[in-house]
Amino acid sequence: MTSMKILIVDDSITIRRIITNALKTVGFPDTIEAANGKDALEKLTNANVDFIITDWNMPEMNGLDFIKQVRANPVYSSLPILMITTRGTEHDVIEALQAKVNSYIVKPFTPQELKEKIEAVLKTSQVNIV
Amino acid sequence: MNQQEVDGILQKAAELKVFCEYGQRTVPVLDEIASFVREISPAIEDLRAVVEVSMVNIPKAANQLGRVTQATEQASTDILNTLDRMVATLDKVIGSVATGMISSDLGAATKKMAAIVKTLVDKSGWDDDIVKLAEAWDMHLQSLRMSGSTSNLEKLLKELQNDCTEIMMALQVQDITQQHIGAVMGTIQAVAEGLQKLTTGFFSTNEKDNVPSPPITIPVQPELENVGEAERKKMVESLLSKARAGQL
Repeated sequence: MTSMKILIVDDSITIRRIITNALKTVGFPDTIEAANGKDALEKLTNANVDFIITDWNMPEMNGLDFIKQVRANPVYSSLPILMITTRGTEHDVIEALQAKVNSYIVKPFTPQELKEKIEAVLKTSQVNIV
Repeated sequence: MNQQEVDGILQKAAELKVFCEYGQRTVPVLDEIASFVREISPAIEDLRAVVEVSMVNIPKAANQLGRVTQATEQASTDILNTLDRMVATLDKVIGSVATGMISSDLGAATKKMAAIVKTLVDKSGWDDDIVKLAEAWDMHLQSLRMSGSTSNLEKLLKELQNDCTEIMMALQVQDITQQHIGAVMGTIQAVAEGLQKLTTGFFSTNEKDNVPSPPITIPVQPELENVGEAERKKMVESLLSKARAGQL
């Protein structure tokens, strides 16, 4: 179990619950949720977030724009970000990496895969990997 | 009439001759066009009927897809709620098993044996035989708690909990199908807008209808490459490695 606080950003309540439960089973019980990028930026100012998991396709502000905003803000720019999305083309992955996402998962995923990705990001937690 | 006037008349006659020759060639073409228009008129009428029906049916189809999405989302929420309750209950049961309190038979037998020991102690005090009996019973209890049946039960319960997690993870399919349905709805919207243009521009006789339609905006939807899950994950890992090595 770790006390790391993870912000889950996804417009689907089902996926938010799935990620929350999966995180709980692999030892990350402390989570908060946001329904889109705009909502997530507000949550970032109010909560002491250590790690971000975000979807790509969302209304109001999509995941890619959200990541760009986070990276452009000196207060949050070094936060590790993992993207979990249905977008699985090579072009998509490259675009996300160029926006400085730390890691990338194409849905569907397993709790074990989620754990391994988080641990890998934390191990090499140098944000400017691209 | 002088020579110049004669030349003028001859030139006009020549021009008239050219015009007549041209007319002779164009009249059959015009006849063919008229014949073609007469032939396609019924087809255009049929097309108009199809378009009018489609203009009613396409929004209905989009609506139905929307309802499918809502229904699957609601079903997923219900399943998640049930799974949450199951996992919480299993947590409690696993806790009880771990502390050896799961077996009501064991609990009842313990109480019964304690009552017998108490009766014996009341009758004759703590003699050696009763102490030995109490110690033997205690060892028996401990061995029961440590026995394979209890630990197997705990293992089975944990397996059930893992199954619950697997069902939960499988519900990701709801989000994936929702996004694909969204893409189909985007295409349907584009077709509907195209038909709308056709009906207002081509079929309409009303001048007011012939205003330009707003541009079609097809929402950008995710497109999965036509590859398997394993290949896709491999591709993502390869790109992540390249990114880490600064080779992207």
